[in-house]
Amino acid sequence: MANIATQRIKREFKEVVKSEEVARCAIRIDLVNDSWSELRGEIAGPPDTPYEGGVFALEILVPETYPFNPPKVRFLTKIWHPNISSVTGAICLDILKDQWAAAMTLRTVLLSLQALLAAAEPDDPQDAVVARQYKEYHNIFKTTAQHWTAIYAGGPNRIGEYETRVTRLVDMGVDELTARAVLSANNWDLERATETIFS
Amino acid sequence: MASSSSTASTEEASTSQPEKKEETKQKKEDDGEESDKESDEKMFECNICLDTAKDAVVSYCGHLFCWPCLYQWLETRPNRQSCPVCKAAISRDKCIPLYGRGGSGKDPRSKIPPRPPPTRTEQTDNGRFSWGSNEGNGGFHMSFGIGAFPFGFFASAFNFGAPGTAPAGANFMTPQQIEEQEFLSKVFIWVALIFIVWLMLA
Repeated sequence: MANIATQRIKREFKEVVKSEEVARCAIRIDLVNDSWSELRGEIAGPPDTPYEGGVFALEILVPETYPFNPPKVRFLTKIWHPNISSVTGAICLDILKDQWAAAMTLRTVLLSLQALLAAAEPDDPQDAVVARQYKEYHNIFKTTAQHWTAIYAGGPNRIGEYETRVTRLVDMGVDELTARAVLSANNWDLERATETIFS
Repeated sequence: MASSSSTASTEEASTSQPEKKEETKQKKEDDGEESDKESDEKMFECNICLDTAKDAVVSYCGHLFCWPCLYQWLETRPNRQSCPVCKAAISRDKCIPLYGRGGSGKDPRSKIPPRPPPTRTEQTDNGRFSWGSNEGNGGFHMSFGIGAFPFGFFASAFNFGAPGTAPAGANFMTPQQIEEQEFLSKVFIWVALIFIVWLMLA
């Protein structure tokens, strides 16, 4: 990797480790290998959101041209959010694309992602299904996001009723992840989910 | 704390404790000075490489950069040049060089900073040369590792080889330089045409 990129990542790594957010366990960063080109990030779900209590892992790939081009970031933990793909974890956030600025750091990126969890932009979605639910059935969206946080990110608000429906589909021979995703996309309507899967 | 009637060993321990305290106090003071120094140095860190700014320039919006770093940032986004910190409009002419005591006093912007070497291989007939008149000291600037280029350029101009194509490595040139180059190559072609017409008529 180009010298300036490695130099800067090392400095930023120290900055994150020293930051007060780490002290509050709000963000964390770890090395994946010795090359400094791949890092593992972690953000805590912000309070007063459906993601509260969850911890979300992120894959951070640092390009050779960093910091002149943004790092490539994606969620490794599955998450139900209008601006994050529920399938791939890809993130739709302007500062990771054309609004990137060279003075931004890993710390500010992680904090921006945390802010994105607290303030979704359903009009500029990455996951159209989630975005539609967010706009049309906001309460279902909230409980679904809570449920996903509990299942995949260690959150506290597991919704028993939802899980029973997942189990029903699993009993029919459907893969658990697929069952949960399809039920979520169909506003937890078991009949419609079954139709979607078996039609 | 051990009482006054304690055994020798605890006395020893109690006397050594205040010393330790002093030591830690001393250490804390040192740390304080160090962190002061650190924060002072941080004041003069480039906002891009996070190192102490070399060939420092400051934008109109007040943000400090190394000129090589800022140059590369501006080159990365030639059409949308904005301050990496606050996104205010920024350009080569909208920043001020900083001269500390003991510096060379030369305008850091007058030199194009060293850039990473290109990874592409050069085509033999695709000439390239850098016209440096707007760099403040007249004369020619040869871009990084492309020594024989002026001749290649003349050759391609007189060969009428693809006059309109964008020159290779144009991403390393400022828009003015590209414009100048296109203008020059057109001039050369017209001179050549006029010369040929004159030869035929004479």
